[in-house]
Amino acid sequence: MALSRLKCITHAMKNLSLLSHPDLRAPVCMNQVRAMSRVKRRHTVPPFWLPKTTRAMYPEHMTPENEIFLKDVIEEKYSSPLKADCWERGTWVKNSMRCGLIGRKIGIYPMWTKDGTRLLTTLLQVSDNQVIKYIKPEDMVQDKRKRYRELGALVVGADPIDPRIITKEYYSVFSEAGVMPKKKMSKFLITPNAKLAPGTPLYASHFQPGHYVDIAGITIDRGFQGVMKRWGFKGMPASHGVTKSHRRGGNIGSGGDKARVLLGTKMPGNMGRERRILRGLKVWRVNTQHNVIWVHGPAVPGGVGSYVYIYDSILPDHRHTQENHPPFPTFFQDEEEIEEELYDKELHTFREPSVQFAEK
Amino acid sequence: MLTSRVAAALPRLLPCTRPYHKQALTNTIVKKKRSQLFTQEAQRQAALITDVEKIEVQYDGQPKNCTLIMNKGMSTPYNCAQHINQMIMERSVLAEVDGQVWDMHRPLEDSCTLRFLHFRQSDPYYANKAFWRSASVMLGALLESSFKDNLYVELCSYPSPNVRSGSFVYDVDIKIPEWEPTKEELRTLSGEMVKLSLAAHRFERLEVDASVALKMFADNRFKTQQIPQMAAQSTSGNTVVVYRIGDFVEVSRGPMMADTSHLGKVSIVAVHPIESNEVQLFRVQGVALPRGFLLNHFAYGVLEKRAQQMNSGRLPLNISSTKPQTQASTL
Repeated sequence: MALSRLKCITHAMKNLSLLSHPDLRAPVCMNQVRAMSRVKRRHTVPPFWLPKTTRAMYPEHMTPENEIFLKDVIEEKYSSPLKADCWERGTWVKNSMRCGLIGRKIGIYPMWTKDGTRLLTTLLQVSDNQVIKYIKPEDMVQDKRKRYRELGALVVGADPIDPRIITKEYYSVFSEAGVMPKKKMSKFLITPNAKLAPGTPLYASHFQPGHYVDIAGITIDRGFQGVMKRWGFKGMPASHGVTKSHRRGGNIGSGGDKARVLLGTKMPGNMGRERRILRGLKVWRVNTQHNVIWVHGPAVPGGVGSYVYIYDSILPDHRHTQENHPPFPTFFQDEEEIEEELYDKELHTFREPSVQFAEK
Repeated sequence: MLTSRVAAALPRLLPCTRPYHKQALTNTIVKKKRSQLFTQEAQRQAALITDVEKIEVQYDGQPKNCTLIMNKGMSTPYNCAQHINQMIMERSVLAEVDGQVWDMHRPLEDSCTLRFLHFRQSDPYYANKAFWRSASVMLGALLESSFKDNLYVELCSYPSPNVRSGSFVYDVDIKIPEWEPTKEELRTLSGEMVKLSLAAHRFERLEVDASVALKMFADNRFKTQQIPQMAAQSTSGNTVVVYRIGDFVEVSRGPMMADTSHLGKVSIVAVHPIESNEVQLFRVQGVALPRGFLLNHFAYGVLEKRAQQMNSGRLPLNISSTKPQTQASTL
């Protein structure tokens, strides 16, 4: 089982995906797997096929008039009054997968349900998401299994970046779509009926209150940590004769036949800065004007300001059905009316009256 | 008179014994002929100066004003710059002699005041114009040597340089009805321009009699018509100015930049077909920046996009539809 997981990981890395599919990565509960220690969990250097984002800056001695002109050119180029290319829009069928969003964790806030239960929610801002590219199933480097053979992908970008400070190679990624270059990109596996034309804007209304999401992110980098923080060891007493071993790991092997330290033995080391997926988080609230999503819990991986990748949940309890599926392939906010604030029906909103007295 | 057997026994001294006028007409042969004529004429003119007379050249500028004693008819502003400062020598594009714009490698005639023009001064109008003109000439050099030997390319002309038009052009007759170059072909041409720039050829200037120029350009039906007109407009009435870069000779009026290394970033961006008096010409367009001017790819892309639009420069007119030659003309 461990080896098959290893194969999945290496295949995903060969998959030329910026981030691999949720199904192929960490499961819901973490079991210690001895073979995982051979797989690099963190990379200090991006993969060789990824183009460098920013270029080396040099003084250009441009006149102020030329600077203003270029700014106007950029504005004009990326603000077309025309509607984005309209491809045929698919309809939801069972087992459809639609794309996710790239958000930024902006904070944690408490919310209250109608029966007074307090809960913490994480605010995620979906800033300037646009579809960059659609990759057909035939063009994907495929997993041989039938389910994955049928999947295409959408590359989604977030947060614009000045086209003058990026490399030409990175810029060429966006020139086909005619989209402003983006800081962050991610690939989302989709069924072909969920495809969207390059340039389509994606908003927070893609997810609606009451639905469940999986969130992937890079956990906070805690640096080199000891076994107590890293693995939750109990340590040893502070006194009663304990010599120099208050926070140490203690025994590391059993000896005998297995006369070695087993692979995967918990020891101090770098903690955090790893990709983790949190499954089944409920969306409590969505603000469509500022594109903010309130998701359940304070434990979204990453610190405040870090990027997260939001997917529709794959948990069997939260499977979509014909009656309760989210807007498919996305919610076209430019075309349809929507309220500014969307609340889950169980949520208490402070703007509404909570206690009403009946007239006698 | 040698018998045939004896003649056959003698070693062949030259690889090609056919006279020029019997060879097939190709650009390579024509270029070689022109270059040879240029060299001959340059040597003849140099031999005319028997006495070395001295002239006083008053230099105004950085690092300090000075008076240089130079040779009349032989010393050029470039030689003066060599005496002054390395930076002046390398960055100067044109010289200003007695208020008149002067080529860097054109000999000085008399005692004069001298200034140097470069791209980074506050109003580089003449330097820019010379740059654009030189870029056109380099493009002509490129077009003459880039095509296959079976195509005899005849350069027509280029309009007066106008930097604001967005591109430098050359109108050329390739003798094929249609040419829509692919991106790779344009990139190849741009690469050749860069090679020309790296070769750092000097723009050698020579003022020749119209008859000599006509001999040089006898194989080009457009130039044979343009040269008499240009000669008539010159101060002397029957001379034209020819420039040589490497082995390419061109007839032109205005001053050129010092050498091809002043060309920095360059792209050949578009080819537009133009009809002119039943002759199918192609207007090849490009854009360039002087060497040392750094620009990000986005801003340069804006310039390239602008250069792709059909240049509004004057189209070559009054070209009679004489039949193109198939054999090299007699010397």
